[in-house]
Amino acid sequence: MARKRGRGVAACWYGIARTATVDRAGAWAEIDDGGTAKIVTGVTEIGEGILTVLAQIAAHEIGVRPQDVTIGDNDTARSPEAAHAGATRQTYMIGNAVALASRQARAALVEVLARYWNVDSRTIKTAAGEVWAEGTNHKMPMSEAVHIAKSRGVVPVGSASFGTDTTGLDPVDGSGRPWQAYVFGCQVAEVEVDTLTGEVQVLGIWAVHDVGRAVNPRGVEGQIEGGIVQALGQGLMEDYRTVNGHAATPNLAKYILPTSLDVPHVTSVILEDPDPIGPLGVKGIGEPAMIPTIPAIMNAIYDAIGVRMTSLPATPEKVLEAMGRRARAARQPVAAE
Amino acid sequence: MPELRIEATVNGRKVARAAKPHLRLLDFLRDDLGYTGAKEGCGAGECGTCSVFVDGVLLKSCLVPVAKAQGTTIETVEGLGHAGGLTVLQQAFHKAGASQCGYCIPGMVMAATAALRANPLASREEIKERLGGNICRCTGYQKIFDAVELARDVRNGRRPASALAEEDPVDGAFIGASVRRLDAPSKVSGALKYAGDMVMPHMLHLAVLRSPHAHARIVSIDTSEAEAVSGVEGVITAVDVPGIDGFGVFVHDQPIMARGKVRYVGEQVAAVASEDPLVARRALARIKVVYETLPAVFDAHEAMRPGAPVLHDYAPDNIVKHIPIRVGDVEKGFAESDLIVEEIYSTQQVEHAYLEPEAGLAYVDHDGVVTIVSPSQNITHHRHMLSRIIAQPISKVRFIMSPVGGGFGGKEDMVYQGMLALMAMKTRRPVRLVFTREESIITTAKRHPSHTTYKMGLMRDGRIRAAAIKLVSDGGAYGMSTEGVMRKAAILAAGPYSIPNVKIDTYGVYTNNTPSGAFRSFGALQSQFATETHLDICAEKLGLDPFAIRRINAMRDGAVTHTKQTLKSVSMLRALDATEQVSRWETGAPTSRGDVRRDLAGEGTRPPCTLGTRFANSAGKDSESEVA
Amino acid sequence: MLICDEYLTPTSLEEAFAAMACHRGECRIVAGATDLLPWAREGRAGDVEIPTLIDVSKIPELHERRADGKRVRLGAATPIQRFLDDPALAAALPAMPRCAVWFADDQIRESATIGGNIVNASPAGDGIPPLMAHDAVVELAARRNGSIVRRKVPLVQFITGPGTTTLAPDELLVAIECDALAGYGGSFEKVGHRRSLVISIVCLAVLVQLDGAGRGFEDVRLAIGGIGPVPRRLTAVESFLGQGAVTAARLEQAAAMPVELVASRTRQAYRRDIVRGFMLRGLIDAVRAAGGGTLTPDLARDLEAVYA
Repeated sequence: MARKRGRGVAACWYGIARTATVDRAGAWAEIDDGGTAKIVTGVTEIGEGILTVLAQIAAHEIGVRPQDVTIGDNDTARSPEAAHAGATRQTYMIGNAVALASRQARAALVEVLARYWNVDSRTIKTAAGEVWAEGTNHKMPMSEAVHIAKSRGVVPVGSASFGTDTTGLDPVDGSGRPWQAYVFGCQVAEVEVDTLTGEVQVLGIWAVHDVGRAVNPRGVEGQIEGGIVQALGQGLMEDYRTVNGHAATPNLAKYILPTSLDVPHVTSVILEDPDPIGPLGVKGIGEPAMIPTIPAIMNAIYDAIGVRMTSLPATPEKVLEAMGRRARAARQPVAAE
Repeated sequence: MPELRIEATVNGRKVARAAKPHLRLLDFLRDDLGYTGAKEGCGAGECGTCSVFVDGVLLKSCLVPVAKAQGTTIETVEGLGHAGGLTVLQQAFHKAGASQCGYCIPGMVMAATAALRANPLASREEIKERLGGNICRCTGYQKIFDAVELARDVRNGRRPASALAEEDPVDGAFIGASVRRLDAPSKVSGALKYAGDMVMPHMLHLAVLRSPHAHARIVSIDTSEAEAVSGVEGVITAVDVPGIDGFGVFVHDQPIMARGKVRYVGEQVAAVASEDPLVARRALARIKVVYETLPAVFDAHEAMRPGAPVLHDYAPDNIVKHIPIRVGDVEKGFAESDLIVEEIYSTQQVEHAYLEPEAGLAYVDHDGVVTIVSPSQNITHHRHMLSRIIAQPISKVRFIMSPVGGGFGGKEDMVYQGMLALMAMKTRRPVRLVFTREESIITTAKRHPSHTTYKMGLMRDGRIRAAAIKLVSDGGAYGMSTEGVMRKAAILAAGPYSIPNVKIDTYGVYTNNTPSGAFRSFGALQSQFATETHLDICAEKLGLDPFAIRRINAMRDGAVTHTKQTLKSVSMLRALDATEQVSRWETGAPTSRGDVRRDLAGEGTRPPCTLGTRFANSAGKDSESEVA
Repeated sequence: MLICDEYLTPTSLEEAFAAMACHRGECRIVAGATDLLPWAREGRAGDVEIPTLIDVSKIPELHERRADGKRVRLGAATPIQRFLDDPALAAALPAMPRCAVWFADDQIRESATIGGNIVNASPAGDGIPPLMAHDAVVELAARRNGSIVRRKVPLVQFITGPGTTTLAPDELLVAIECDALAGYGGSFEKVGHRRSLVISIVCLAVLVQLDGAGRGFEDVRLAIGGIGPVPRRLTAVESFLGQGAVTAARLEQAAAMPVELVASRTRQAYRRDIVRGFMLRGLIDAVRAAGGGTLTPDLARDLEAVYA
């Protein structure tokens, strides 16, 4: 057969949040009129879904719905520092900060209600826009609870900071505590290699990633699928080349990216090994998702056609060249060992 | 310049406008009519962010001269839903989680709309073909395919309309629920404004003059002719920097604009502002820069040799950062090993290729606060750096993070915000800069390329005794994130495996190539590519299944990392077990057994792409049953 | 950036020639614009200032499409997409739908024209090899001494090098005429670095007609792009296969023949490697499309043997 299939596996590990330095993030929370909530923190979407994740966390912690949560703009003059959008730190650093701030705002509200209902504050529950005291028939919408708090002179607000207990690396032997949370993962790739042209099609990827606690499983899948396809691009086609410093691939006709016809079916399995340190147990997924993909594909190519691709990207041309080298080597007389 | 008179029907409304003859339909829709749902991702028909319907036919509006729009009926993403509502397809994108950064999404929604108009029963494979002209960099496309299939089924009555609705979790347990993305409606409808979509009254457009040389001394810059051009409102160079010039994530080695010398092709040298972007662009040619070229170095290993051209005075050896990690004694470990395997791995420079090219808008507000709106991934740090550069207190510098149309690390560097700030301060007018795709590719940071020499010693039973890893990486002309990338590459290089003897060295090196910087997976992708490929080579030699060799060496609860940190909980074994199970992996050593293995082509794979699924349709096959 | 002072859209050949005469030396012809706009960008031609652009895509004659059983006549402004969605064209040009589906993407195919693809004369232009295999002739027109004069040039002679043709400065490519080959089996092979929106490294068009028994060739036509400065017919292979039997051995021999023709500036070794495979696969697919293989079990066996 001119087309050959094979499978390969690769694993990965990764550290969550900034590396070998103390990381930190701040957030403000307010339970607002109408039973809504306002979260202000220095972060905006870069596409990973963090706004939705933070709204879910705030909603869960305060007891409203995510669509009732407004997240303020990321603005250095108007919001607390949450540092940067990268390092697989958003859910971990800012998510935990928002959870702590939300809990504080909720506590302020609950304290007023405990006095109002004359119950132990620990019996008060909040969820999806309702507030009630367990074991009683006291129950009201969150909007009314906020109104009661305000009429008693209390605006239910909270603020919090979340920081990491990490260290730099020793300059001689590298020892240190670069992160407080680690994630692990593993992927299998199945490929088909066209031995006439050297083209590799990745038909399936099975990806298992520990994310701590998944806030939005569909969002986690999206990160895994997107990371895999970025890695596939680097593994098989993308190549930024310069000649004496001048870009030889200055546009998207020359610098080619995976299209809808080049991508595998991805089966994601989310593994949850909660972080024991942070208040939510969350960790992260953005970056680790793409680490095992390339070696899994290269190992699958070897499984299919017996050539070891050690130099990226494995373009059709390089694959065919490697096949030719292998065929020529097979024809050489074997040297005595 | 004889202007064209364009009369067309756009989103159901008649428009009649004069237009300059060189404009493209995309410019006309965005700049003249305000339909910014169509984006410019590449300007060359390669990405599909600008797709619109012209007389019912989907076209890439960046390839359509505006004259061709005369007398046509045009539909943009803003015109799909009626009265602000979302179409079934847009709702399906929302439900399926098909949007991430959202920048490709208006075009993708248009392409998917066209696909279902062409064939309401299109199979998943046909949908893929019909979306083949639209690039998405975030999602991996899978949720987009899911969304189009969902819309197809709802419209055909095969799935109920309720399949598009939110599914609320019980008891308000929103952590752990696949809540629909709150920002998706603004993305699928084209309503969300990215920095390049924003306009302000009296706004100027910035154009940037860039270095044609990889390494050269700047003898002189004469901007007088450019400044004299009618319509030019300002020209800036390094001399306009009032404070201490220099930015960078770890070392502040990069000036806002080239200062004294240029270190790579495409480095910014000067910038011009005008109300008319064409005037600004043309004025660049009037700036006279005299260069004296210097010897340049384009290879990381060469740059480390004595006598190589030096890029930065502070680093005479051209080394940005060396990170060492040492555990035990590798030489002793190799001596004890039954098997030694050595190999060399290399990875290339890679472009982030977010669909949103860099863009920003700056102004000085009524209180004198220098304000920069841009898709920056690190406004906190940018604020600190800019305050020093423009010699203003922190309270007079404000960064606002606009929606980011894809970042992946590529928008962590403050490469253009400084120019915007300087021009806004100089002209006291709002200034906008939007990179072309070519500028974005040629001048901004890439993923670090790497060259890794790997030596591993193992026992016959598969236990790794020692690993020596040396990774050399071309950091390009400026430091950017190189130090951090080298650190992460080193810490994670030996993989999630307990190894008693480890020696890791990573080196980031200056050259006159395009700078390398932060990129999703930040060095760990490069070093673990080597480790995970190497382990399979070892497994074959030892006759071990690839899962088995990883399991034998995997870190477990309580493991001590290569930086001597004790990990309480390690999920590695669980990950291996789950992967083996879900992939239905057939156990065996990795001996290129593809021809004989029996776990291929099962659930979780797609059919190979052969193109032409629509031919099967015209032959009368039921399109959907093909994928069943 | 493509900058012009004037953009004209003539609606007749007369108007177009008048505009060309008026702006001689300062104008450029536009049809689909899908190559022109990307060309005028950094890294390629950079900013280009052309005083006058003349858009010929609204001239009705350039949209003609006629097929009469023997010959097909196509206006030069016919969009590539019509080869996919016009059943009459697909039937008369059996390799063209496969070529078209590989050509850029649906959206660009709606703008890009067959005439533009020919005039650009790219060594890897996808539309050219199939038309060469159809013995295409291009019709060129000019306005000289007050009247429109036309001449016809075989496509294989029209393209003279990468980006160069015999088109005179005052001429327009108005139509393409080629053989109607209904009943032939057609195939198109292409490889790039991905599956959509990709420039060919090599592309190959194959058209075969089998005898009544489906065992022998009646006619074989092959043309290839990407292996040299211009796409070309593979006449030696055509005469070798001639009217002989369809056998695995002959297909394999034929497949090896064009390898020595590879004379591209880059990637010669890779192109040599894939030409043989493309020839085999293209011939087999075309034979199958012509009805061979399904008709005779032993031929099917032969074909399988070649693949194995």
